[in-house]
Amino acid sequence: MTPRFRLSRSIVTAALLCLLPAAVFAQNNGGPRMDHENTLPPTPVGPTPMAPDEHPDLTGLWNGLADNLLGVPNQMHNVGIEVGTDSTRDIHSGVQIATWPLQKRGRQDNEQNERAATLLRRMGSNRPIYKPQYWQRVKDFDANSNEEDPSNNCMPAGVPRMGVPSYIAQTPKYLIFVYPGQGGLIATATSYRMIPTDGRKHTNIEDLDGTWNGESIGHWEGDTMVVDSIGFNSTSWFDQLGGYFHSENMHVIERFHRDGNTLTWTATVEDPDVLLEPWTTTPRVALLNPDPKAMLPESLPCSERDFAHVVTKEHH
Amino acid sequence: MRAIMIKVLARRAIMMAALAALAFQPVRGQDSDSKASAGAKPVSARAANAATGSSTSDVAKTLKAAAEAVGLARWSGVGGQRLPEVDVVNTMEIWGSGTTYSPAASSKPGEPWAAFKTDYHVALGYNPPAMRVEMTRTASGAAPQHLIEVVRDTYAWDESEIGGGLVPGKGTATPAMAAAKNRSLQLWILPYGVIKSALAAGDKTRVSTENGATIISFPLSGQLADVMVKATLDAQNEVAKVETRTDNPALADLVTETEYSGYADHGEIATDVKSPGHIVRKQGGHPVLDVQIKMWDANNPYLVFPVPENVKKAAAH
Repeated sequence: MTPRFRLSRSIVTAALLCLLPAAVFAQNNGGPRMDHENTLPPTPVGPTPMAPDEHPDLTGLWNGLADNLLGVPNQMHNVGIEVGTDSTRDIHSGVQIATWPLQKRGRQDNEQNERAATLLRRMGSNRPIYKPQYWQRVKDFDANSNEEDPSNNCMPAGVPRMGVPSYIAQTPKYLIFVYPGQGGLIATATSYRMIPTDGRKHTNIEDLDGTWNGESIGHWEGDTMVVDSIGFNSTSWFDQLGGYFHSENMHVIERFHRDGNTLTWTATVEDPDVLLEPWTTTPRVALLNPDPKAMLPESLPCSERDFAHVVTKEHH
Repeated sequence: MRAIMIKVLARRAIMMAALAALAFQPVRGQDSDSKASAGAKPVSARAANAATGSSTSDVAKTLKAAAEAVGLARWSGVGGQRLPEVDVVNTMEIWGSGTTYSPAASSKPGEPWAAFKTDYHVALGYNPPAMRVEMTRTASGAAPQHLIEVVRDTYAWDESEIGGGLVPGKGTATPAMAAAKNRSLQLWILPYGVIKSALAAGDKTRVSTENGATIISFPLSGQLADVMVKATLDAQNEVAKVETRTDNPALADLVTETEYSGYADHGEIATDVKSPGHIVRKQGGHPVLDVQIKMWDANNPYLVFPVPENVKKAAAH
């Protein structure tokens, strides 16, 4: 067996492992799909169910349609690139991007696919603006993210990088969020959050031990659930790509808005220690699983089994 | 029994419809291929019409070929195999060295400009359109000069250090609004800027042939609306030469001629984006730049160009 063949086989194996969790999800709760023809958000359908307190009921299994670590379409959506059938738009700037509709095209080998993915996932204009003294560090982290990413080796992704929860339970005094782990390439651990909505205030920041998810408290602003989090460690990155590190003084404001069978999520990151200005993610829209019997599948054991096969320095 | 028959018939009808749909797909795919030839249906170029002297398909094919030649039009099979190809080029960073030229304070019209040995470092982005050119240049017998010239949209300023003027106590930003057009032009006459702006020019873009070479001609827009671009493609459809001209005498310094050669993937991280290895530019008839490229990172690296508050205020006055 030639070294070149072994390398190709390793890459194919890694790619297949990368696809596995998505395939498991697709079988169990209808998403996320890996074969998108566009990155347009789903259109809301049906009424918005209301809880007894007359606020929208966020309870449900949300498929995180555009919100997992896998696949070019999801990543393009997350960085704000809206690809339609024959046109593409950068949501943040409104700039139209030249588009050549799908056609019969030549084959690309795995390395060509990965190099293209590197570009497609980083082409959006919605980037946090760091203070100049940190520009080089962010660039270096991203360029070496397969080594540097703090969520490697089954560590948590943290808030807000985890994005839209796959399951939400809404009770009168708490929200429960569940985030299944990604068992594939660049594995992350399963995580959960218990978020009080009973009107309490944050613990004094000095009394909090910094953690990956911080201390979160929820309240309603009209029909939007606002989850305010402080008390982080400075270990995680706050988006899936980009090497976006933060300090222990990060403050995250997440907004959840349910419209029919869709849930729109955004997170605003404030961190005056490292950022010049607050940064807000591109809105991500998750779709409710319509199957009343749908269950979250058990996450695969988190085991960083693909890292040995990685041949690039940055996430692709 | 009747209910079962209806179910069977319904299943058969669905199967037939599915088979018909499958049969139709390849036909439709081939049809779209033949109609679009090179698949050229970028958002803006598809409107090109025969009134310009170039057919829609000529312009579209030529721009697609130029986009593919430098790795600008891309798709990926990593879970995105059904998405269309898109223009993936946004941010880039360039390192090079060579010679730059500028008029000495005492020089008279017609005299050659002073030459500087120059280390050349550029950060650029197309969305938003911005460019930061950092030069350390040395004239014979003189101390090195360190210049950082920035443009973003219609704002232009000089930084005392990278990102100067954004954080108190960390360098300064000096407004240089008069330089905005010239600096912006440097962005749009790079090979990627040429392809992007030719696509954006829509039905104003023309394709012709001169001495066997393909020529793309189009007007720029916005603050550069008076500038016409003529780009020459080489045999590999790479942008080899870019000339800009203007009929507006006030914009005479925007008459440029730039030659690009030695295309390759010069990035530390391989992207299959090809960039020139050598750039030679004249402006207003004078040589202004002759740079050999050491590295050209095209992986959409983290490069940002926030406008300092004092520059915004200066622009408002």
